[in-house]
Amino acid sequence: MKGIVFNLLEEVVRRGYGEQVWDDLLDAAGADGSYTALGTYSDAEIVGLVGAASQALRLPPREVLRWFGREAMGLMAERFPGLFEPHRSARPFILSVNSIIHPEVRKLYVGAACPYIDLREEPDGTLTVGYRSMRRMCGLAQGFMEGAAAHYGERIAVEHRQCMEGGDAKCTMAVSWS
Amino acid sequence: MHDGRELELNVVALPSEQSEDPRIALLRLERRVERERRARLEAEAIAEGGTRALHEKQRQLKLLQTIATAANESSSIADTLRFALKEICAFAGWSLGHVYEVSRGDHELLPTAIWHAADEAMAGVFRDATLLTPLPRGVGLPGRVLATGAPAWLTDVTDATNFPRAQVAAASGLRAGFAFPVMVGREVAAVMEFFTSETREPDNALLALMAQIGTQLGRVIERKRAEERLVHDASHDPLTGLPNRALLLDRLNYAIARRRRDEDFQFALLFVDLDRFKLVNDSLGHAAGDVLLIEVGRRLQAALRQEDLAARPVAGAASSPHTLARLGGDEFIVLIEELAHPSDAVRIGERLIETLARPITVDGQEVYATASVGVATSTAEHAAAEDILRDADLAMYRAKSSGRGRIEIYDHGLHEVAISRLKLESDIRRAVREHEFTLHYQPIVALESREVVGFEALVRWQRSPQELVYPDRFIAVAEETGLIVFIGLWVLREACRTAARWQRAFPRPQPLTMSINLSPRQFQQPDLVEQVRAIVTEAGVAPETVHLEVTEGVTIDDPERTIRIIEELRAFGVGVGIDDFGTGYSSLSYIHRLPLDVLKIDRSFVLGMDASGEGRQIVRTIMDLAQNLDIDVIAEGAEQASHVDQLQAMGCHFGQGYFFSRPVEAAAAEALLAQGPFK
Repeated sequence: MKGIVFNLLEEVVRRGYGEQVWDDLLDAAGADGSYTALGTYSDAEIVGLVGAASQALRLPPREVLRWFGREAMGLMAERFPGLFEPHRSARPFILSVNSIIHPEVRKLYVGAACPYIDLREEPDGTLTVGYRSMRRMCGLAQGFMEGAAAHYGERIAVEHRQCMEGGDAKCTMAVSWS
Repeated sequence: MHDGRELELNVVALPSEQSEDPRIALLRLERRVERERRARLEAEAIAEGGTRALHEKQRQLKLLQTIATAANESSSIADTLRFALKEICAFAGWSLGHVYEVSRGDHELLPTAIWHAADEAMAGVFRDATLLTPLPRGVGLPGRVLATGAPAWLTDVTDATNFPRAQVAAASGLRAGFAFPVMVGREVAAVMEFFTSETREPDNALLALMAQIGTQLGRVIERKRAEERLVHDASHDPLTGLPNRALLLDRLNYAIARRRRDEDFQFALLFVDLDRFKLVNDSLGHAAGDVLLIEVGRRLQAALRQEDLAARPVAGAASSPHTLARLGGDEFIVLIEELAHPSDAVRIGERLIETLARPITVDGQEVYATASVGVATSTAEHAAAEDILRDADLAMYRAKSSGRGRIEIYDHGLHEVAISRLKLESDIRRAVREHEFTLHYQPIVALESREVVGFEALVRWQRSPQELVYPDRFIAVAEETGLIVFIGLWVLREACRTAARWQRAFPRPQPLTMSINLSPRQFQQPDLVEQVRAIVTEAGVAPETVHLEVTEGVTIDDPERTIRIIEELRAFGVGVGIDDFGTGYSSLSYIHRLPLDVLKIDRSFVLGMDASGEGRQIVRTIMDLAQNLDIDVIAEGAEQASHVDQLQAMGCHFGQGYFFSRPVEAAAAEALLAQGPFK
């Protein structure tokens, strides 16, 4: 996992719960804590931190990830405005994930292992999003999408139709705008 | 990387802080951590920027390299451009790419079939519209690139003012576009245009990269052009731009092969040779000769084109069935394919001769470039291109020797003629080497006194002890091969020696004269005057008694030089006369300009005096002319007493002919001198 993700997590935890809580999480997870955005760190560390947060906040891990994703989107909009500005709504932003966002991430962070996202626009206006990753962090993906909607002042509903956590080969989410 | 240890050390190092309020110390520590965080973020941002730039650079280099490799490996410009379209679309994430080519004359862009479309459905309508939209310089996105030679960008083609395809682009869902030139040196050779479905702000880095690719691709075009030039140069004559021998043989072999498969297919080869090209080259110089050849090529080509139009009124219906090639020198070849009838070949040949009938102005001089044409058709059995070429050459040679500006068609007899001519040529060479020539002398008689006043020396060839060959059998070949120069010098020397001997043996108040013929080739020798001077002096004969005779044809080819040579010869002392006067083409006014001593009336006019008043009239006219110019006249062909009487009556003083004596060997001539005047 690239250090940028750890940095974002630290940032949202600090903003939401304060410096001490982040220190507590590091202690609880037995994590090192010195992460630089360009570095690469063990996936186990993020899993440990999420686990620690899950216990501290009394939330399931996927909800922690979801919350993290939602909050992190705001930070990313500050840090990478070029990815957000061309769009007026979350839909084209989400649609640009494979063509623009992930290629851009790979440019900034050499070796970034971005998941592949299938996108299909349905006739009824929903967006079918397929997620497949060894890390099984579909909650983070959902949170990112919800955060993006919030950025553009929209609300979306995300329904998990298939989930790797439930043993499916991939996660399928139906995203609809209200 | 900062960590807690350094922080601790700092705290320990400042004793004053230890006494501080712990809460203040904590605040200070937090501020310090915040500073460190900000420094880290900044450092990361800088590193991210560097990584991103490096990444971009690598991708750009990879694109350039990929395109360069493809360009080097491909032999087709279209394939290379198509590949580049695909790679650029993939690299920059654009949907559609197309190449406009620059028309001849650089004023317009023409659509091509070189396309790349990520999405076929999107491309269809726009492509159809593009194929119907040539763009003048300056018009549309690509037209602007042609005009400026620089890349151009449109954020949204659908609301651009200068984009003729705006409507169809909008209908196809296209928004942003850019275009850049493919440059060969400073010339725009093609324009590549790209479109995508979103609006995009100008990306100068991308355009800069595209400019580099444009130069890269230009090198492919340049290389291809150089290749084409090499191929063209290897198969074309550099002077006239016409196909050369190699290309002609190639097409000829193709025609022969086709004929083998298809008996109805007929072709013909026309061998066109200029009649007096050498003269132009020798007298006006090679540059003038080149001008003449270029013009001849142009005229022949134009005549053939008219033939094409007559045969196929629909323009561009098929490629021309004619190949006009230049073999070198003044030899042009026309290959006519798809011949309806062999007689068409003759008709076309006549047309070619006709087109050269108008004079060509070279260096301000009018030159008549008549041509002789030999025709060989596919009706004969030809195994190889060289065979049919040889046959056409033989036919041309025959056309030339039977008078200039003519056409001959090859038949098998010509081949035998050619072989016997070759044998004759080698025999003449031997004759020159082995001194097989001899002279006969025909007396020139004063008509009043009937005294022999001089002789004309006439060459004979003692081919074997039994066979005496007359000039009409060998002079033409000797002239063509240049052997005449050696023969002529020998004749001049031998005749001068004889003259010297006879003048001593048979002294007269007016010493005996000796008339000697100069051939056209001899007359063109640059050192003619020196040679004459040396030979006459060496023979010990008075120059005034030597008369050199040239034919009319010799004098009109290059009047200025002729006059100069004659003046130089006369300055030395020898007399100069025109042989066979009246048979050539020289006008009477022209004769005025020549500083002559003697005119010889051709025997045909003298013989013609018997038959008609007209014959007499011609002789009388020549006599009058000569008297006006104060030139002596010698009448040839005086065969009967009546001729002599009439000539005398017209005031002619000298005659030569069978009435007095045929040409005889030296001993017999001496006997004539010994016997005194004719009775």
